[in-house]
Amino acid sequence: MAYHIDAKLNTTNHSIDATETLVYRNLTGQPQQTFPFHLYLNAFQPQSTFMTEVRLHGARGVGSDSGWDEKHRASITINKLQVEGLDLAGKMQFIQPDDHNTNDHTVVQVTLPQPVAPGASVEFHITFHDELPEVLYRTGYKRDFYMVGQWFPKVGVWWKNAWNCHQFHADSEFFADFGTFDVNLTLPQNEIVGAAGDLVSTANNPDGTKSVKFHSEDVHDFSWTASPDFTVVEDLWTGSAGPVKIHVLMSPGHMASAARYIQAQKGTLAWYDKWIGPYPYGRITIVDPAHGAGNAGGMEYPTLFTAGTAWYMPKGVLAPEDVVNHEFGHQYWYGMVATNEFEDAWLDEGINSYIEAKSMDALYGPKTSIVNFPFATLSSSDLLRLEYISLPDTDPLTRFSWKYISDNAYGGVTYGKTATVLLTLEKIIGEDTMLAAMHEYFLRYRFKHPTSEDFLKTIEDVSHQDLKWYFDQAVYGTNVLDYDIWDAHSDRLNWWEKEIRGKNPSEEMHRTYVTVHRKGDFIFPVDVLVKFDDGSSTTEHWDGRDRWVRYVYDRKAKLASAEIDPLNQVRLDRNSFNNSFVVHEDERAIHKLHNIWIFGSEWISQFLAWLS
Amino acid sequence: MRLAPRPKTFASGAARVWRWQRILWWIFVINLVFAYWATKGMAERADWALSHSVASQRLVNGFDLFSLAELAGQPDTPLEQPGPAVFHYSVIFAIFMLFAAGGIVTTYVFDAKPTTTPFFEACGHHFWRFIRLLIYLLLAFIPIGILVGISASIYHRIDEASNSPYSADFFFLAASLLILLLTMLLRLWFDMAQVIAVAEDETRMHRALRLAASLLAHNFGSLLWLYLRISLLAWIVFGLGMYIWMFRLSPVSTTAAFLLTQLMLVFWIAARLWQRASEALWYRQYQAASVTEPAYTPAPSPQPAPIPYSTATN
Repeated sequence: MAYHIDAKLNTTNHSIDATETLVYRNLTGQPQQTFPFHLYLNAFQPQSTFMTEVRLHGARGVGSDSGWDEKHRASITINKLQVEGLDLAGKMQFIQPDDHNTNDHTVVQVTLPQPVAPGASVEFHITFHDELPEVLYRTGYKRDFYMVGQWFPKVGVWWKNAWNCHQFHADSEFFADFGTFDVNLTLPQNEIVGAAGDLVSTANNPDGTKSVKFHSEDVHDFSWTASPDFTVVEDLWTGSAGPVKIHVLMSPGHMASAARYIQAQKGTLAWYDKWIGPYPYGRITIVDPAHGAGNAGGMEYPTLFTAGTAWYMPKGVLAPEDVVNHEFGHQYWYGMVATNEFEDAWLDEGINSYIEAKSMDALYGPKTSIVNFPFATLSSSDLLRLEYISLPDTDPLTRFSWKYISDNAYGGVTYGKTATVLLTLEKIIGEDTMLAAMHEYFLRYRFKHPTSEDFLKTIEDVSHQDLKWYFDQAVYGTNVLDYDIWDAHSDRLNWWEKEIRGKNPSEEMHRTYVTVHRKGDFIFPVDVLVKFDDGSSTTEHWDGRDRWVRYVYDRKAKLASAEIDPLNQVRLDRNSFNNSFVVHEDERAIHKLHNIWIFGSEWISQFLAWLS
Repeated sequence: MRLAPRPKTFASGAARVWRWQRILWWIFVINLVFAYWATKGMAERADWALSHSVASQRLVNGFDLFSLAELAGQPDTPLEQPGPAVFHYSVIFAIFMLFAAGGIVTTYVFDAKPTTTPFFEACGHHFWRFIRLLIYLLLAFIPIGILVGISASIYHRIDEASNSPYSADFFFLAASLLILLLTMLLRLWFDMAQVIAVAEDETRMHRALRLAASLLAHNFGSLLWLYLRISLLAWIVFGLGMYIWMFRLSPVSTTAAFLLTQLMLVFWIAARLWQRASEALWYRQYQAASVTEPAYTPAPSPQPAPIPYSTATN
């Protein structure tokens, strides 16, 4: 498949006029006469499915109560669609395969006069016009900043023996076939351009514009950005597949973060190169969105992604590093391992979040990879676990992305729960095996469209374990994992006899009871560490199948503590506070919290009293 | 009348707060007790979850934000919203402080020992006057509220139009400082009205406000500086305290953290009392200086002006 696009940006009315030639080679194995195309920009209309879903539960920081503003309206109009000299624009038909919302025009279908035989090619000559929105959601303009993504008619994917071309949803991303892109952009000469391709040529035109040509291979999308205010920062990193040019486009006021972006980019490249596989492209472009265009930030496109920062970003808040790490990770989990983001969002966002947790914790410390102050810390893996804890049981990982109960559930399950499920899987198969499985999955499926089953089978293949019991609960199910210490105490064995004063307790036999309870419906084998006050300890292994188990010990020692999952490996356990019982009370934590609450309360009182 | 700056007012105000420090400790203790009561329920519930759990060590050895969020994120979380209780106790404390203001200002104006009966008599004597002043103060805040709205609107306009994030944020900073200054001026104006109400036993608060406004207009620099420098000192000490708490104190030193935070609060309360004492002193000096040239005729009082409690003996 090859796209040739010639586009002209009009910066006065924020529109694009373009021609597109799509050469589609029929590799579906059967004749094809009907072709669906994505027209994503039509989502930015109030009655679209996308906006209806935003209105229902919000998405990507856009609240359900944000209302409609005409500046966010966008459209993509196909003025001409020719195949073999025939204009088929009049025969195009909007279809709504997901919800039958006839006001949704994000998918169009065209039927050719003749089917395209297997192995044969067809050329679509399309003339289209884009009206860009002021950035509401990933794409559009903000003043003179442009982030142009999902902007051209993009053909659907023949997948699982059918066309896969979903409407654009509030909580879904994209899916497309690999191909080559040759894109010629015409825009004012003062624009600094970045794009998902190699720069082929730049030529100034007599009318004050310039034409910039890009070429890209083995990618499934093409996005670009332009602004006269960008400051370009470049660097180079060399990995196992050769040098990678790091191209950073910084917006005004954000230059202090440029070095942080680059440092994070290099660290992440090195981590991926070591553990997952080589980065095969010779470039990566990082776009720092303009002030006020934050919703264009934190988004991945092949060989280009948008980051995000603020001029006052403290060094102890590693948000710029984290967004670079996450969005670059998508070059692997979406860019190369091109899963269907509509139907298997967990395979790109979730796997990417898992690797983000691993790599961020490795690069910036296991407890300090998101917040790192002397007075407060937060790690990437913990942040992802928090997302999961908030909504652990609403949806399975395999839910289609737009069918989650809410936007929060989509985020919590797709990102947070998947990462936590995979971190917990390390306890079963081992961290090294898990990383080996990720490496194998990448090698097997790069430049392909794997499914959930492909991913899970790869883990089973590499670990040589049947993990159906785990995947059924964690991936396909909504089971909640929560163990607690139901009871733990020691009693004198001869409890009926009077206690002799002055007798050394260590000479007396005690019976210790430890009752472990499975609160949730997720069955998972756990270790239970029981410590005694003479310094001895014992570790039990419980399969977790029954609702509870009681361990009884007769010793010349009393219970000191009982702890489920002492190594804190079962990250899916939604409450780690009830996993242990320590006999000797330690009130320092509550004193610390209570002090903060008292102090806060005193200050609120002082503020109100200041009025009197 | 314009009163020449009195450098001693600043130090004498502090000395007066020190002399009658029982007021300071009294306010501090009540504030602490109220805050304790407001947060006690939540602390007890959290104590049940934390004190016997190994996981609580993540909060002891450092401050793991995740642990707190995990605790709060549980369906059966022991951390219920403390907001209502804290707000209720804060309102009660504010009302109490409004009541106590009469006694406090009387103590500072007349430099008289705040023994229990006369102190509370003074509190009661001035309470309704100060409530009326509070109503005036709330009315005076309306223009400031409008200014806040206008500033927010301008901020958003700059934010939308500017390619640089600095413009809007610097405007926000400047507008915030201006609004803070105006708010402080309002407070100073009403503080002076309270002093006049006590010193002159003025019953008509609009007259007290008018004279306070006149005094403020004629002695703007000295009065503002008097108020402002104590505020600045209080903020500096607060910032220093926060710095020590966050960056210097060992995470496991819960007792030291408690003492430090309470010390910060004591100084904050002391600074507020210092402002009131300095204002009272300033007005007394103004009264003394204007004997030959009365700028103001007090309203006839239905009752004789209360001669408060015993004269200072230091």
